[in-house]
Amino acid sequence: MLIDYFLMAVNSIRHRKLRSWLTLIGIVIGVAAIISLITVSRSLESTIESQFEQFGANRIIVSPRGFQGPGTSSEGLTVKDVETIEKIPGFEYVVPGIFLSTEVSYRKEAGFTLVSGIPAENFEEFFVDSGVKLQQGRFIKEGDKFGAVVGSRVVEDMFRDKLRLGSKIEIKGQEFKIVGVLKEIGNSQDDNQINILLDTAREIFSKPDDVDAIIAQVKYAGDIPLLQEKIEKDLERKRDDTNFQVVTATQILEQINQVLGIMQFVLVGIAAISLVVGAIGIMNSMYTSVLERTRDIGIMKAIGARNSDILKIFLVESGLIGLVGGIFGVLFGSAMALIIGQFSKSAGFTLIVKIEPLILIFGLLFAFAVGIISGILPAYQASKLKPVDALRYE
Amino acid sequence: MTTLIKLEDVHKIYKLDSTEVPALNGISLSINKGDFVALIGPSGSGKSTAMNLVGCLDLASKGEIYLKEHNIKHLSESDLAQIRGKQIGFIFQVFNLVPSLTALENVALPMAFQNVPRGIRLKRARELLEQVGLSDRMKHLPSQLSGGQIQRVAIARALINDPEIILADEPTGNLDTKTGDEIMKLLYDLNRKGKTIILVTHNPDLTKLANKIIRLKDGKLVGS
Repeated sequence: MLIDYFLMAVNSIRHRKLRSWLTLIGIVIGVAAIISLITVSRSLESTIESQFEQFGANRIIVSPRGFQGPGTSSEGLTVKDVETIEKIPGFEYVVPGIFLSTEVSYRKEAGFTLVSGIPAENFEEFFVDSGVKLQQGRFIKEGDKFGAVVGSRVVEDMFRDKLRLGSKIEIKGQEFKIVGVLKEIGNSQDDNQINILLDTAREIFSKPDDVDAIIAQVKYAGDIPLLQEKIEKDLERKRDDTNFQVVTATQILEQINQVLGIMQFVLVGIAAISLVVGAIGIMNSMYTSVLERTRDIGIMKAIGARNSDILKIFLVESGLIGLVGGIFGVLFGSAMALIIGQFSKSAGFTLIVKIEPLILIFGLLFAFAVGIISGILPAYQASKLKPVDALRYE
Repeated sequence: MTTLIKLEDVHKIYKLDSTEVPALNGISLSINKGDFVALIGPSGSGKSTAMNLVGCLDLASKGEIYLKEHNIKHLSESDLAQIRGKQIGFIFQVFNLVPSLTALENVALPMAFQNVPRGIRLKRARELLEQVGLSDRMKHLPSQLSGGQIQRVAIARALINDPEIILADEPTGNLDTKTGDEIMKLLYDLNRKGKTIILVTHNPDLTKLANKIIRLKDGKLVGS
């Protein structure tokens, strides 16, 4: 019998085309918003996760607490802290790094970007373990005092004239020669970074002892929690303060995911409001439909339709409106997510948008359920009409 | 002779705001199998109310109504709907058909509510439409049919569950005389084939075919 109700619903929806389309739009917008937001934020999560996997889960990062900015206070990290950590066994290497946002110029044109200093002895390892590869040239070796390895966007976009291997850029009045260009990493900060030797950076930035971050590469992943604790304890004892933080890649990832989770919750909540509005639209349309078809209901009851038949006829109809809205919503939502992915690429962050079938199916079922629920009250009202009253209605 | 419908001292009172308006004041009648009954009376006579009660579309305020062996006031709304669908075929004056369904689907509809499989329904509906001479109008929507054609579709629909009773409420009210006569002839033929016909009308001319005339005035019977 459900097939009959389905056919009747199709008929009735086609019978009032314009109104059906208007009703649909409400649901389409709601579903599209929810699907695109969920898809984008889940893609964001997995993109960040995969970047972290590259970054290496085997790292412990030590940085000044609260991130006061590079070299702002004596409470920051110093070479002494690096020594403290180096004394702990279990690390492959410990890399101190300094970072400074500064002016960089090329052929009299100035740019502004982050310059990092990394020790010569670990320079190559540091990048290789991060999963970052060279696009051209080579890494800096000991003795390359004024060599620079730059991110892909430094070469492409930073200056009017494109840079090449061997191009000379100027940092703090000192000329550097580009010896290597990194492959695109996918986020604009890393791709705009210029890497030079730590000793050179100390010299030109006049930071003889400061360290902005210490990256410790662990030999065995299983040791991470233990080593993290050990670093904390030793640094606290030596420094006699707690103005530093020791985090692992996994912890950072967890924090980011937490923030993303909250963001997703809020955004989907907002999108859900538009779906509620859509649901009210269906309800309104169904009430009108019941009113318009009061005589039909009377006739159907006279020729043997039970209350439950009338109820089902209208529920199938509102469910169908929801489902059709869901289909369009899922299509538009997916398209929107893909477009957002394209935009992000041109904005400097490579977001890999993945369309997940399960989420699409969920969207469809959800829209169907919204349709049915919106139809309950009107359908119930229709089913309770007395045949005489319905037949007399004009 | 089998009694199909029996009304015993039936009253119907409508409540309008706080005042009570009596529409039927204690009428008793019985309709036997094979009867062609004309229910006649001017407007306001309680004729429509009587038809609704006889057709089990409404319940009496007082008194008993029997459809065959069932006292209808003991039946649930769903049971009543099922009995209507099986035992009574309705033909109304206007707006007879569901406008979004084709003639064929309209005819088949009462069988859908009796859970008859779709194939059987449509086959039977086709046969009936052929019988009333509409084999070339099956896929038409009601809006594409003339008044006389609509009433034929309604007659076909009334017959699909093979009910014993056909209840026609002013079936010719909106038709010209010639078309009206054709419809009346169809009803007469059905009566000859054994269907019990109840015709509600205000037109005395139409009562000629009836073997039993029930006259109503001010909610009371005035001789039959």
